[in-house]
Amino acid sequence: MTDFKQIENSLKREAKKLLESAEVPVVLAYARGYDEKHPMPFAAKSVADVEKIVFNEYCNFNMARYIMRFPDAAKIAVAAKAADSRAIVVLIQEEKVRREDLVILGISASGMKDPKTDQLIDSRTTGGLYNPVEYDILLGEEIRGQKIVSPYEVLAEYEAMDKEARWAFWKSQLDKCIRCYACRKACPMCYCDPCFIDQNKPRWADKAPQSPGNMMYHLTRFHHLAGRCIDCGECSRACPVDIPLYLFHKKVAKECEEMFGQAAGMKLEDKPVLVDFRVEDSDQILK
Amino acid sequence: MSFEPKILGIACNWCTYTGADLAGTTRLHYPQNLRVVRVMCSSRINPSFIFRAFQLGADGVLVGGCHPGDCHYNTGNLYARRRLAVTKKILEFAGLEPERFRVEWISASEGNKFAEVVTEFTARIKELGPQQKLKIDELLEKI
Repeated sequence: MTDFKQIENSLKREAKKLLESAEVPVVLAYARGYDEKHPMPFAAKSVADVEKIVFNEYCNFNMARYIMRFPDAAKIAVAAKAADSRAIVVLIQEEKVRREDLVILGISASGMKDPKTDQLIDSRTTGGLYNPVEYDILLGEEIRGQKIVSPYEVLAEYEAMDKEARWAFWKSQLDKCIRCYACRKACPMCYCDPCFIDQNKPRWADKAPQSPGNMMYHLTRFHHLAGRCIDCGECSRACPVDIPLYLFHKKVAKECEEMFGQAAGMKLEDKPVLVDFRVEDSDQILK
Repeated sequence: MSFEPKILGIACNWCTYTGADLAGTTRLHYPQNLRVVRVMCSSRINPSFIFRAFQLGADGVLVGGCHPGDCHYNTGNLYARRRLAVTKKILEFAGLEPERFRVEWISASEGNKFAEVVTEFTARIKELGPQQKLKIDELLEKI
């Protein structure tokens, strides 16, 4: 089991070192929210801020989400768990941030909990990785010997469904949507300003929380995240009406991996699959 | 009255649209269910166009582009191929009918292929019947 206290201490130590050196003006980590169980994303900007940093099993936020909030910072240090580091890799691939402008404080953590249910997060709802793929400093020990779960295992049940049943399932799920856009806010890959759904010219979809607009918003969002979603599962955890968005994102990620042979955010030198092509891609993928 | 589907055709200016012209000038017959929109390249097609077309009452969407390797802009259709393949998978997993969405590479000299594809696709859509799942209820649209 991960020693969260030890990671918190090393996070504080590294943050202090970085802020003192004055090379890094911002350290992105977590701070206490209104109670222990609800930490919040936190940007430490001075040595005095370091004391506020916490790390516990409820620190699920994908901190890659906040990197682009600090365009003026010369360098940003960011605490990154496995999924966060993949998100950072995608941001670097998309040239949203440069690798040399980041100090990635990698965290190997298992046993994260969802504050909503106080249960361990089901590893099938996330990418199933415990160790960051890219980091400068690794806090805590690399996790070995954990059971490796295929991130796509959970899909089998839905893929086996009859088409009509699947439509009924997604319609009932997406009809619940209240269009709070918490999924968009939680997602490290959703950085467009404005988002297509906020555009008025053209108005892509109805903004009322009704079936047609919901369908358009979600289907398009699934498409926009194709080959970029790094499977952190934050969208589904952020959702106040518990729509299992991770299922659809996983399915699209699986198809992309099968068709184009590459999972999102694993290697710095890759390109996201939809901004890339191979002449040898088969026409069969369109059938 | 028999069901006459509405089919949206999105055709690339350099190949498929010219191919459609050729089909016309060579007096080939094909069903009149297709409404063609011309775009400069198949990679111009935003996947939202396809979802939106289904919402606004299209029974089928046919996308036409240059053969891979023949793109007027060299690589446009190669990007489009990957993108539209993902669109198809999304339609499938959402439980919609992916058969209602078809991508064909039709060059400017393939007027007869254009006519054939449209005939075949229209027949297929007629078999499938009206597209109801995504179509927006007209009353709701007026609110």
